[in-house]
This record gives sequence, C-alpha cells and structure tokens, in this order.
Amino acid sequence: MMVPTMTTTEKSSRETQQRGATGQKFRLGDRWRGYRAHHRATLSSSVRKMLREPVQTLLTVLVIAIALALPSAMLLALNNVQKIGGDLESSSQITVFLAKSASSTAIDGLALQLEDLEGVISVTYVSAEQALEEFKALSGFGTALRYLDENPLPAVFLVQPLLSGEAGVSQAGKLITGIEELESVEDVQVDMLWIQRLNAITQIGEKLVLAISIALGIGVLLIVGNTIRLAIQGRQEEIIVVKLVGGTDAYVRRPFLYTGTLLGLFGAIIASLILIACVIWVGRSVEVLASLYQSQFELVGPGLSGILALCAIGAMTGLVGAWVAVMQHLRKIEPK
Amino acid sequence: MIRFDNLSKRYPGGLEALSNVNFELDAGEMAFLTGPSGAGKSTLLKLLMLMERPTSGTLLINGKNLNRLSRSAIPTYRRQIGVVFQNHQLLTDRTVFDNVALPLQISGYPASETGRRVRAALDGVGLLDKETHNPLTLSGGEQQRVGIARAVVHKPKILIADEPTGNLDPKLSAEIMAMFRRFQSVGVTVLIATHDINLINTMDERIMHIENGMITDDGAHHDHH
Repeated sequence: MMVPTMTTTEKSSRETQQRGATGQKFRLGDRWRGYRAHHRATLSSSVRKMLREPVQTLLTVLVIAIALALPSAMLLALNNVQKIGGDLESSSQITVFLAKSASSTAIDGLALQLEDLEGVISVTYVSAEQALEEFKALSGFGTALRYLDENPLPAVFLVQPLLSGEAGVSQAGKLITGIEELESVEDVQVDMLWIQRLNAITQIGEKLVLAISIALGIGVLLIVGNTIRLAIQGRQEEIIVVKLVGGTDAYVRRPFLYTGTLLGLFGAIIASLILIACVIWVGRSVEVLASLYQSQFELVGPGLSGILALCAIGAMTGLVGAWVAVMQHLRKIEPK
Repeated sequence: MIRFDNLSKRYPGGLEALSNVNFELDAGEMAFLTGPSGAGKSTLLKLLMLMERPTSGTLLINGKNLNRLSRSAIPTYRRQIGVVFQNHQLLTDRTVFDNVALPLQISGYPASETGRRVRAALDGVGLLDKETHNPLTLSGGEQQRVGIARAVVHKPKILIADEPTGNLDPKLSAEIMAMFRRFQSVGVTVLIATHDINLINTMDERIMHIENGMITDDGAHHDHH
C-alpha cells in the first residue's frame, strides 16, 4: 500500500496530503486501537440493526428467554426440594421403644450406651407418663384415654443421628441395627425410607432437568441460527462488497457473531427477570404454607451467581448458534 | 506489474471465456480493454480480483503468482487493488463517508487516519461536501465518483474499473476518465474495461482489444511510456 513517487509537478494539496499520510507505518498500538474501535463499532451497529426491527428482535429474544427460563425454573424448584429434604433429614430422629419390663437402672445404662454409639448426636428420654401427656395434648383423644386402666405407651429414647447426604442414610442404617441389639430395646422405628425415596426422586428430577436443558439449548441454537441465516441473506450485498474490498472472513463474520451473542444475552436477561418474578410470586404462597407447618422454610432464588451463570450460558449459546449459521452460509457468498 | 502468461479460463459446461491470453502492463501504465459483450473483458477483470481462478496459465502481479495464493491470502491481496464497478456497489445503509471508509476500516486503520484519508479521497473526486449524504440521494455521476473515491482511498498500486462510464453522458464520462488519468500520473497502474470507443480514442492511451476470449490487439505499440 505505497504510493509511488509523484512525477508530475502539478500537485494538488490533496495529493501532497495523501502522500504524507502513507509515508508513516502504523505502530502496533494504533492497530490495536483501530481493532478495538472496530469491535466497538461492530457491537453498536449490531445493536442498532436489532433495534431497527424491534418486533422481530423482541420475538426472537422472548423465545430464547422462555427456552432458557423453563429449565432454569425447574432447576430452581429442584434445588428447593432438595433443601426441604435436607432440612427434614437433619430433623429426623430414631425412636427407640423400651421394653415395659425395663428397670430404671437398665434405662439409665441404656442411655449411656446409646450416647456412646457412633453417629449419635443426642439422646432424649421420654418416659411413658410424658408420652401419654403429649399424646393427650396433641391427639385430641384426651377424654377417651381416661377410660384406659393403664398407660399403653412405652418409654422411648429419641436418638438424633448424624445424617448428611446419602452416606449418612446408610450409616444410619448401621446405627439402627446397633441399637436393635441392645438390651431392653423393644423396637426401633425410623422414617428413613422416605428420605431415600426423596433422594431417588430428586436424582430423576436432575436427569429430567438436564435432558430438557439440552433439548431447549438446541432449540436456542436453532433459533439464533435461523435469525442469523436471515440476517446474512439480508446483507448479502454488503458481504460481497466487503469481500471485494479485502474484508477477511473474520471481519465478515464478526457482526453476525455479535448479533447472536447479544440475542442470547438479552434472552438470558429476560429469562432472569422471569425467574425472579416467579420466585417472588410463588415465594409468598410458600411462606404461607411454611408458616402453617411452623417452618422457617424460604424459597431460594437464583441468586446473583445463578443469574450471571444464566447470562453466560445464554450468550455462549447465542454465539455458538451464530457461529454454526455463519459457517454454513457465509462461505457460499462470494463475489461473482 | 500485471502479467498474463498463456492464461485460459474455461467454465464448467465447456465455455472458454479466455484462451491463451498474453499481455503485460507495466507499473504506472494505463490501458483500456475493449471488445464486444461476452468477449471476456469481465472474466479477465475477475481473474485479477481473484473472483475467479484460471483454468491454465499464470497470472503474475508484481512478480507474484496469483495461482499460488491461498484462500486466506485473498483479502490481503485485494487490499492492494482498487476496483470501480459499473453499478458502483455502494452500500445504501450508510453515508458516503462510511462507504469510502470501508476499505480502511477493513484494514484496521485508526479512526483519525481514516477520517483524514476519506476526506482526501472525497476531495479528490470533488465530493467533500457530500460526505454525510446517503449514496441514494446522489446522481449517477456522483455515485460513480464515490465508487472511485472508495477504490483509491487505501492507495492501491493497481486500479481496475469495469465499465466505469457505462451509464454516464459524454461530459461526465470524460470527467471520470480524467480522474483515472490523474491516478495514473501518480504512479498507479490503471486498467479500464469499456465499450466507449469514442471516448478512449481521444485519450491517446494503450487500447487492448479482446474478442472471443482472445486478445486480438494488445495495443502495446500505442504505448507511449
């Protein structure tokens, strides 16, 4: 890109100026600034082009938003269910029913034995009398119970086991067999099975969410890909001119990649808003329900990290969708 | 600067657009390429632009064999060439300034440098006052001049034009030709395909005649360089 030395004596000021400009080579910093300026310009022109067709853009973004919000909402619901499971798991107790014949010394000995067992956090003794009082108060059978000659309830130990995750459940199983072997123990009851069931159900839920996420993720790829394909067709003329004046494939590709990324990002932002709105809306009802169960349970939202992750996923999916479309269609457009 | 060596171009289907074309254009030389429609003028220019590849023979630009140029090297090669199209190929979604700036933006020129050069190029074609206009609002002659400004803004060594005066009246055509001559006078190699025999006969420059894909007169003896 050099201009040969001028031979004519007649020089316009423009030509002198032009030659002066070519004499200097750009420094790397200038190139880098130019490159960055080009990226900025491409980004803002992508936004302008999207705003020029607001309805089309909005529809695309909304479809992407729904496709992203659905699996995110399911994941969030699953997280909350797991949290409930966790809360209940830690409050589940082993009830040790004592033999009617057990003497008070035997009971004291048993208490010590139970406390010494591995995986036991605390042991609470409830005497037969206490149990009866509690039953009278809670069951509403108070008057009917008066007709009984003797207290039908046994004394119990409430054993709080250390439970954490799946390992905790199997450990608790060992603990139970250990307790059953102790003297004066009539029966051991524990509601562990439903915890195992809940774990199994949430595992199925996780797989389901993953499958739906993949399906809808492919959907987003196709939506973005199709939008970019139409954009490429609409700008065929421009692409040809750019290629004719020396635009590289990367240069031609760039605006479409930006558009795809932006579509994905905007979709993710709207999906986040949908998600937050749902959490607030459902959260109120959950609060009411929780208060009926005297529970402190609160619905967990996506959180800032969740929203950022969703935006990153949306932008990445948009970029990949645009990339696929660009790879398929851009090479075919060559100046003829 | 430009050398066609026994070059042929055959399209699928057997049509031989160019057969055994030989000619050479020196640096800073100006030449016209004439001939009836379909004689191979466009094909010849397309080969120069690497829009087409020759079937056989070699095309040397500044001593470099274009056949050996890979696809990824095409953009860099095209940046050394300025092209003026018959239908201008201006983009109607942007201003005159942005149209002319396109080759510089593509090459990654900084904005200040781009502005300077674009204004210099627009000044050269007498359209400095139209830089903020949309090309659609300009006359045919003005559009063609914007096309020329875009073709020379990055100071190419070679300037190619395909029927640059195709739709213009004689007076405007003469103005456009005068512009090309100015570029030649600063050392640019200029090759112009045109039907406009009357106009080029008045210009005393090399005239190459092509017919049925063959150069029937390479005009070298008219060369006054």
